[in-house]
Amino acid sequence: MNVTLPEAVQRAIGVTRKRRFEVTARDINRFAQAIGETNPIHCDPDHARNSRYGGIVAPPLFCQALTYEDASPEQLLADGSPLEISVPVPAVRAVGGGSEYTIHRLVRAGDVIEIKSTLKDVYTKQGRSGLLYMIVVETSFTDADNLPVALELATYIKRA
Amino acid sequence: MSRIGIDWSDLSLPTVLPELVVTPTHTQIFMFSAATWNRHHIHYSRDAAIAEGLQDIVVQRALIGNYFVRLLTNWMGDAGEVKNISWKVLGSAVPNRKLRCEGVVTAYEPGVDSDNLACEMTMTNDVGETVATARGTVCIRDFS
Repeated sequence: MNVTLPEAVQRAIGVTRKRRFEVTARDINRFAQAIGETNPIHCDPDHARNSRYGGIVAPPLFCQALTYEDASPEQLLADGSPLEISVPVPAVRAVGGGSEYTIHRLVRAGDVIEIKSTLKDVYTKQGRSGLLYMIVVETSFTDADNLPVALELATYIKRA
Repeated sequence: MSRIGIDWSDLSLPTVLPELVVTPTHTQIFMFSAATWNRHHIHYSRDAAIAEGLQDIVVQRALIGNYFVRLLTNWMGDAGEVKNISWKVLGSAVPNRKLRCEGVVTAYEPGVDSDNLACEMTMTNDVGETVATARGTVCIRDFS
């Protein structure tokens, strides 16, 4: 189905937002707990020091903890969905669709990570319950030496 | 090449990975929203989720990806690293219902300093419905 996207959506495609965070051991520990991962390389400094990593490292998908902006509640849509998918399509109900994730290296405590989030594409699909708007967001994560850490291409689905 | 725990030279294809069974709770889903600063109400408000046509609050797309990663890392331990993973969410996962993650190694590509293994994975709920599918590549290397 060929649906013309609203002009505001077309203008938003390609727009990049940037931000930077320093990762702490506490961030890594909390993320590991949140995914149910108990490997001590994520939380026990002594164990991690004696491992092949030489220190605490984050789980492979840790950069998910850095993906969304620290937007204030007032900046979010009424449903609280992340700013990154606040695209003015004529649909309001959002769910996650899928992800393509490349991990160049594991994040370590003390890393300063630059995040670039770009709305890559918005397209439509006919679903069982009506028209679906597919929102594709690319997020790149690089370290202080501008070396790649991870790259994600995430797809979100919005329904009327 | 000396490996940790698994004799990779004996790897036959397809090799079935030990399954991972998880039961996400409200607390786990809340913790993941907090750790990722995801304030989307379908992950914490049952009323809001139902109003949007869902049966309950739902497990985050991103957390589902981590369950697939855990399936891989539980199997290979420190012998390897996940290089890439892609997953598609095909149905909702809700709290207090078991999710079964299964996978197989489908391809083995030997290299000079490391070897790559391609894996295909599925996640099903407690009534056998497919919740998500995934593909990943892990890199196996002698880290000694």
